[in-house]
Amino acid sequence: MQRTILFYQLILRPLLREPVRTVLTILAIALGVAMVLAIDLAGTAAAGSFQSSVETLAGKNDLEVVTAGGVPENLVGSLEGLPYPLKIAPRIEDYAVVVETKQTLPLLGLDLVAEAGRGAGSIGLGDEADTWKYLTSKESIWLGESLGRKSGETITLLINDQTGTYTVRGIFPDLHGSAAAIVMDISAAQSALKRFGRIDRVLIQTPSYPGLEEWQQRIRTALPDGVQVRAAGAGTNENRRMLAAFRWNLRLLSYIALVVGAFLIYNTISVSVVRRRTEIGIVRALGASQSLVLAAFVGEAACLGVLGALVGMPLGRFLAGGAVQLMGATVEALYVTSRPGAIALTSTPTLLAFFLGVGVAVASAYSPAREASLVPPIEAMAHGRREYGTRVNKARDLWIALAVGLAAMAASFAPALVGKPLLGYFAILLLICASAFAMPALVDLVTGIASRLLKQVLGVEAVLASRSLSSSLRRTSVLVGALSTAIAMMTAVGIMVGSFRETVLLWMNDQLPADLYLRPAGSPAADRHPTIAVELTDKIARLPGVAAIDRLREYEISYEDMPAGLGSVELNILRSYHNADFLSGRKTNEVLTELRDSNGVLVSEPFANKHRVKAGDYITLSLGERRAAFPVVDVYYDYSSERGSVLIDRDLLLRYLPDPAVSNLAIYLAPTASVEEVRAEIENAVAGHQVLIFTNRDLRGEALRIFDRTFAITYALEAIAVLIAVMGIAGALLALVIDRRRELGLLRFLGAASGQIRKLILIEAGLIGMLANLAGVGLGFALSLILIYVINKQSFGWTIRFHWPVAMPLGALTMVYAATVLAGLYPARIAVRLNPVEVAHEE
Amino acid sequence: MPILSIQGVSKDYLTDEQPVRALNNVSLEISRGEFVALVGRSGCGKSTLLSLAGAMDFPTSGTVQVNGVATASLQDDALARLRREKIGFVFQSFQLIHTLTVFENVELPLLLAGKRNARQTATERLAWVELDGFGLRYPHQLSGGQMQRVAIARALVQSPAVLLADEPTGNLDSTTGNVILGLLQRLTRQENTATIMATHNAEAAILADVLVRMRDGQITEVTRR
Repeated sequence: MQRTILFYQLILRPLLREPVRTVLTILAIALGVAMVLAIDLAGTAAAGSFQSSVETLAGKNDLEVVTAGGVPENLVGSLEGLPYPLKIAPRIEDYAVVVETKQTLPLLGLDLVAEAGRGAGSIGLGDEADTWKYLTSKESIWLGESLGRKSGETITLLINDQTGTYTVRGIFPDLHGSAAAIVMDISAAQSALKRFGRIDRVLIQTPSYPGLEEWQQRIRTALPDGVQVRAAGAGTNENRRMLAAFRWNLRLLSYIALVVGAFLIYNTISVSVVRRRTEIGIVRALGASQSLVLAAFVGEAACLGVLGALVGMPLGRFLAGGAVQLMGATVEALYVTSRPGAIALTSTPTLLAFFLGVGVAVASAYSPAREASLVPPIEAMAHGRREYGTRVNKARDLWIALAVGLAAMAASFAPALVGKPLLGYFAILLLICASAFAMPALVDLVTGIASRLLKQVLGVEAVLASRSLSSSLRRTSVLVGALSTAIAMMTAVGIMVGSFRETVLLWMNDQLPADLYLRPAGSPAADRHPTIAVELTDKIARLPGVAAIDRLREYEISYEDMPAGLGSVELNILRSYHNADFLSGRKTNEVLTELRDSNGVLVSEPFANKHRVKAGDYITLSLGERRAAFPVVDVYYDYSSERGSVLIDRDLLLRYLPDPAVSNLAIYLAPTASVEEVRAEIENAVAGHQVLIFTNRDLRGEALRIFDRTFAITYALEAIAVLIAVMGIAGALLALVIDRRRELGLLRFLGAASGQIRKLILIEAGLIGMLANLAGVGLGFALSLILIYVINKQSFGWTIRFHWPVAMPLGALTMVYAATVLAGLYPARIAVRLNPVEVAHEE
Repeated sequence: MPILSIQGVSKDYLTDEQPVRALNNVSLEISRGEFVALVGRSGCGKSTLLSLAGAMDFPTSGTVQVNGVATASLQDDALARLRREKIGFVFQSFQLIHTLTVFENVELPLLLAGKRNARQTATERLAWVELDGFGLRYPHQLSGGQMQRVAIARALVQSPAVLLADEPTGNLDSTTGNVILGLLQRLTRQENTATIMATHNAEAAILADVLVRMRDGQITEVTRR
């Protein structure tokens, strides 16, 4: 109890006397905790939602039968004919757009007769006579209750490139929207999707004996080579694995805010120790042990950490709402169809964020707290704070910085560990550490130069400001370290994204050579491939002004238990119009000739990296009933999807999957044709079909819009890290003003006007901003190289060409600099308001 | 005309919401070249009187005029200019800026005033206080007496009309203190400055031209020699 009272008197009460600074520190931790929690919650909501409706409505199944292009329908009969007590449930799985609301929903085709026969089935169809009557009707659908429709209503749906009117025959519970879907009978779904003779999955319930592996084995023997039987829901797990890198990278970016917060806690506790150095000496002389002093300062940090975490958790929950929208859109564009689910404030991420916040606060306070505990009582009482402030060994720290920097370089050359760029992240952490160690030398050098140069321009206030910063070298170095870390991450991410954008722009020049593009209406997603009626493509090909069309067909495949895309293209068109870039550096014509001659495939760079495939290897694909090995002719650059793709000649693919429908059309015009006129002709030709026509420029614009949206969350994370740092600067300048109040009071005695005092503090803020910008840009450049060439490559498998985007970093740095100077306004106001008579007589 | 005129000045402070009278109807006139000692017990109002004389604070009632200008009538910039040009301060605890060299400490008021040739003037003032050759040292490299001499040089760097010294020997041993007092007396004569010094030091009281005794916020006796 006595210790608690002492803790309050010596540690907490001083914090309460400086509410603004204390609140700024707590807010810095709160924002860090909020970021970590928001990204975690939003990631779970965005990534978890892709599986909910499909899997929930599937009920409990043990195995599933799948293949690229769909399972032949006759296999259902074969499976049912097996002499085992299996429950077989064939399914069609696709997407439909509700025309009225433009909402994209899973479209499930179930064997409703069988489901109803089982007594309501998994979707609760009911057993009224009416239900039986409408079950197999082509226009009957059943909807999830969260869609707010009633039985008997009609609804217009866009399926592939056709709209149709359907009647709602029933409503089923859908877990408040997380399982919302449109259900129709399997034959009606096949008809609507024009997917005759094939189904997407066959779900199987097996008896518990003799075990799942044995059942899998037995069923496999009854299936053709190309058809896979695997654990039910394996696709969901594949998707989850695929998203792991995306979530992992975002999660680590969110930790940057905490790293910046750690610097600020370190600074807060250092200030605390410096200010109470005499008190430490007194309590030590009065019998306090070293461990008690250590515990007191660690306790101070823990209190700040707990308060910050408590404020940060509801803030994180709130921010997750915005983050999930951005993440959901990215997941959908790059990976898999996703509908943001409800954000659940579950215990694991909440406790993780809480303990991370408190842990970072305690860990970053440990060093200054330990130093406080080691202070000999007599020295503390005799020398005061000046002794402490100057105890920085710049030369030693510079050598440490060099060693740590070299270790960072070594770590950045290491390969991925367990499929993750762990050593790349470690290299980033080491570089941040190296920069922190080098900071005292940099601060000393720059303030020394600034003192001389700025005196001519800004007067004696600049000399006082730079001397003040260099005299409290440790504190200044920590502040500059915090802000420069945030700036460095912002610069690094800015360079990485700018380079990526430039790379994508160059890539689009090669990849999008057609004049017009056409795809089914509805919002696009990486794993949704609605088709265009084949007769429509033939009609367009015959239009005057159309020189050629490239019929692209895309399928979802599973390769080595990871989802991927399979695309078919027309080789003769590619050869005439494309100038694709290959990793081998070979010419397009040469590669395409080999592709045709060898009946091989091309794989995208992310696919090659994910599956460690290179030119000359063979990959085995399950296509329809068959399983075939294809030589990899070359690896092509591809930035359209992180999942990885395999490209195959259309004619070759049609031999395995004879569905001629296409997913996209690339239309090349005759040299003399007008884009507007041909577009108008196409619009006439496609009347009655719901398709979208893009000009080359529109498509590029759309791609860049998606690109920019993808990285919006990254910028938001960096901006918050900078905000935390700027808040830290404001708090630290406030502490600086309070600590230097005697000096500031003296200046008033010596004739300084209030404007000069204000100028002095603002110059200090400006110098901190300048130092941080300088260090941040240097560090950011080094970090950007690791992001581009190590982390990005090992996480996503993309080659990004380095590009220095001038405008973005310059704009951001100017803003940060302005914010830093503005952060000095409040401390400057406090400095001006100090009563010089009082402060000059304090000691 | 007196360089410093204090007429019917009272000063109240609020302590825990309660007004406490620090000075009560004090009047005093000081002319250039006078060396004035303010003596009295701690808390009698000496430092408050110096703050008012130095335009660092303002009376609750009455007027303080420096060189004929009422301090209460001036805005911040004009006050800063007045302090810069007319008043020099010397403190008990020296109040040097430890991050600046001796030269830089001494020339600081000139630089704050935007004046040129500051280094030359600072060198000259350091010669006055017999610290030639100490200009490039930092305060922590000096003794207490040397630091106080630097503070005096700084106070005189603008050739002020009024020099205010608050217990200038309070942190020094008696020998060093006497050296400082002799220095202040000499410079008062040399520069024709009005020097007002709050002190407990009996030697200081003996050296002064005018001895002002204070008690409970009032002047009880003024002795001119």
